[in-house]
Amino acid sequence: MATLQFREALRAAMTEEMERDDDIFLIGEEVAEYDGAYKVSKGMLDQFGPQRVIDTPISELGFAGLGVGAAMNGLRPIVEFMTFNFSYVGFDQVVNNAPNVRYMSGGQFEMPIVFRGPNGAAGQLAATHSNSTEALYSNFPGLKVVSPSIPDDGKGLLKTAIREDDPVIFLESELMYGLKDEVSEEADYTIPLGSARVAREGSDVTIVAHSKSHHVAMDAAEQLAEKGYEAEVIDPRTIKPLDIDAIVESVVKTNRLVVIDESNPFASVASEITHRVQDRAFDYLDAPILRVTAPDVPAPYAPNLMDAYMPGADETVDKCLRVLYAE
Amino acid sequence: MAILIEMPKLSDTMEEGVLSAWLMDEGDEVSSGDVLAQVETDKATMDLEAFDEGVLLKKVIDEGDSVPIGQLIAVIGEADEDISDILDDQGGDGAAGADETDDAAASDAAASSEPTPSSPDSDVVEDPAGDGQLGDRTPEPVPAGTDAEGRRIKASPLARRIAEEHGVDLSQVDGSGPEGRIIRRDVEARIEEGPPAAEPAPQPDVETPSYDLPDDEAPYESHDISQMRKTIARRLAESKYTAPHFYETVDIDMEKAIALRAELNELAEEQDRTKISFNDLVTKACALSLQKHPYVNASYLPDEGEIRTYNQVHIGIAVAIDEGLITPVVRNADQKGMTEIARETRELAARAQDNDLEPEEFEGATFTTSNLGMFGIEEFTAIVNPPNSAILAIGAIRDTPVVEDGEVVPGKRMKVTLSCDHRVVDGAIGAQFLSTLRSYLEEPMNLLL
Repeated sequence: MATLQFREALRAAMTEEMERDDDIFLIGEEVAEYDGAYKVSKGMLDQFGPQRVIDTPISELGFAGLGVGAAMNGLRPIVEFMTFNFSYVGFDQVVNNAPNVRYMSGGQFEMPIVFRGPNGAAGQLAATHSNSTEALYSNFPGLKVVSPSIPDDGKGLLKTAIREDDPVIFLESELMYGLKDEVSEEADYTIPLGSARVAREGSDVTIVAHSKSHHVAMDAAEQLAEKGYEAEVIDPRTIKPLDIDAIVESVVKTNRLVVIDESNPFASVASEITHRVQDRAFDYLDAPILRVTAPDVPAPYAPNLMDAYMPGADETVDKCLRVLYAE
Repeated sequence: MAILIEMPKLSDTMEEGVLSAWLMDEGDEVSSGDVLAQVETDKATMDLEAFDEGVLLKKVIDEGDSVPIGQLIAVIGEADEDISDILDDQGGDGAAGADETDDAAASDAAASSEPTPSSPDSDVVEDPAGDGQLGDRTPEPVPAGTDAEGRRIKASPLARRIAEEHGVDLSQVDGSGPEGRIIRRDVEARIEEGPPAAEPAPQPDVETPSYDLPDDEAPYESHDISQMRKTIARRLAESKYTAPHFYETVDIDMEKAIALRAELNELAEEQDRTKISFNDLVTKACALSLQKHPYVNASYLPDEGEIRTYNQVHIGIAVAIDEGLITPVVRNADQKGMTEIARETRELAARAQDNDLEPEEFEGATFTTSNLGMFGIEEFTAIVNPPNSAILAIGAIRDTPVVEDGEVVPGKRMKVTLSCDHRVVDGAIGAQFLSTLRSYLEEPMNLLL
C-alpha cells in the first residue's frame, strides 16, 4: 500500500491503464500543458506525449463528441470535464449519443468512453458551479455512474471504468482531490462496478452515502457511537449499477435507514435508494426512511448559507436518532 | 363455471359463523333463493340463501363447523364439473380463503429464494437477508390490522411482521413511536412480558378465566359456548368494565296505569286489537321521556371523540330465549301508539323465540329495557347495553301498604331501576329522566296524547 492523495490515485489509474493499452487517451481543457486544472494529470503529457494527452479549446460539446466518435472507431477516450457543471454544455453527446450508439447500431459499435471530472458543490462556487449530476446521469439507460469517496476506490474503480466497453460517468470532487489515504499498489488492481463498500459495521441504523457525503456519514457514526448507537455506514461507490443488495442486507439487520445525498432532493439518488429499500425490505423497516440532502433550491454563495445548504453530520445524527426513536 | 359460496357477513359484529345445519344435499339442484343451510352468527341463526342456479357440488364444511367470514363453505356448479382444483386450493386445513392462501404462498415462495448478489441491480423481489427466517413462515391470513373499535393500528412494517411471527395481537400493544406507532421494541417488550395479564383500560379476559377450577374428578357436563353466549360475554363484560355504572331506583304508583290498561284492553277485546301489557306502557313512557332527556338516549363514543345524542328513539326490549337473550328493537317508539307498540313487541318477541329475527330487527337500539316483573322480581339492576348510555330494569307490580294523607292504605307499586353510564349520564340527569317517566306512568292519560 502507498499513501496517496485522491488526485494521485486517479492519476495512477489512468497512467497504469494507458501504459497497458495504447488505444487509451486523455482529452480535455488544460489536461496537458497545465497538468490538469486540479493537477490530476500532472506529468502525463511528459510520459505519454501530445498524441495521447490532449488539450482542447473551451468547447465541451466539441471534445465530448470527438470522444464519442473516437470510441466508435475503436479508441478508448478518457474525456475530462474541468467540472461536471460544464458537462451540461456537452449534454447531447454525453446523454444522447454515448449511451445510445450501441443500442441504435444493433450492437455494431461499442462505446468505451469515460467522462470524468469533479462533481457537486465545492465551497463558495455559487449555483452554476455547484451542480450534483449523479441523479441526472443515472436517469439515462446506457450510462454507468461511478462516484468514489476514498482514493483507493478511486483508483480501482477508474481502472475498471476505463476497461468498460460502455460509457461511464466518473464523478470526482474538488474538495477530495487532496484527501490522502492508503491505496493498493497491487498490479492490475480493479474494483467491480456495482459493488458497495461497508465502511463501518453497526447494528442499530444504516447510513448510506456516496462521495463527500460518505465522510459526513463517518463523522455522524462517530457521534452516534458516543451516544451508544452503532451505525453501519455503506458507500455504494457506484450509483449505477447500484448495489442494492448490500443496502437491503444492512437494513434487514438494522431496520432503519438514513440516506445522505448532497444533491437536490427531488428524484435524487436518495429517492431511488429509498424506493428500492421499501420495495425490497418493507417488512424489515421499523421506521420511515429519512434523507439528508441539499434543499430544493440553487446552491447559495454566502458561506453561512452554504453551510446550511450542505448535508452535515449534525443533521445526519438528528435523523438517525429520529429513526431510532431515540430523540 | 363453479360458484364459490363463502361464509357471509350476516351482522355488523360477526367475525365467524357456525354452520348449524345443511338443508340441501350434494347433488341437489339449486335455484336462486333456495336456502342452502342455516348459519349461527354471534346474534342469531340465519338462512344462507343461494343467489345462483346449479347443482350443489360440494359441502366444504360440516355441520357444527365454525369458520371465519369469507371462507369457502360450498361449491355450486354444473353437474359433472371438476372442482378438484378449487378444493385443492383450499389447502388441507381450510384455514384461509382462496385468495389469501395464494398470496401468502406466493410471497412465501419469493421470500425463500436465495439472495443473488451477482445481480445487484435486480428489481426482482428476493429474500433480502437470506436470514432463513422468512422461509419458515407458514401462510396465514394477515391480521386485520385494526383494534377492537375498528381503528387502524399504526405499526411499523417490522413490528407487524414480528407480531405476526409471534402471534402477538397488535391491538394489545401500546405504541411508543410518533402518534402511537407500534415499533419493534414495543412488540418485543410484549413478547418478553408474555400474554397480557391486566390491561391498562381493564379488559377482562372473560373467555379464559384464570381462577382455580373445581377438582377435575368432580362430575360435570361440558357445554359448547354458543356464538350468542360469546357475544353476551364479550359485550356485557366490556360494558361493565368500561362504562362506570351507577343505579337509581324509583317506586312508581301504578294505580292509574292499571286502571287505564284495563280500560284499554276491554276496548281491545271488543275491537279485536292486540292487548297492551304493562311493559308496553313502560316502553311508551320511556320513549316519551327520552325525548325530553337526550343524554339518556345517547352514546359515549371515545374514538369519534364525541357524545352522540340521538334524534330518534329506538327502544330495545330484552327478550329471554333458549340460547340466551336478545333485544329486538321497537323503532321510533315515541311516535307509535300503544297498540302499535304492543303488536310490534309481541311479533318481534315471538320471532326472537324462533331465531327468526333479521339483524336490523335487533340492532340500533338507543335505549334498552329489561323486565323481570313476570318472575316476581321486585327490583334488580341491569348492565348497560352498549353503546346505549342507560338501561331500565323493570320490577313486578306489587301490592304494598302506602301512606296517603297520613293513612296507611293498600297501594300498587312498581320499582324501576335505571343503570347509567356515568360517562354520559350524571346522577341528576338520570333522576330527572326517572321523574319524567314516573309522572307519565302515574298520570298515564298523558301517554295517549
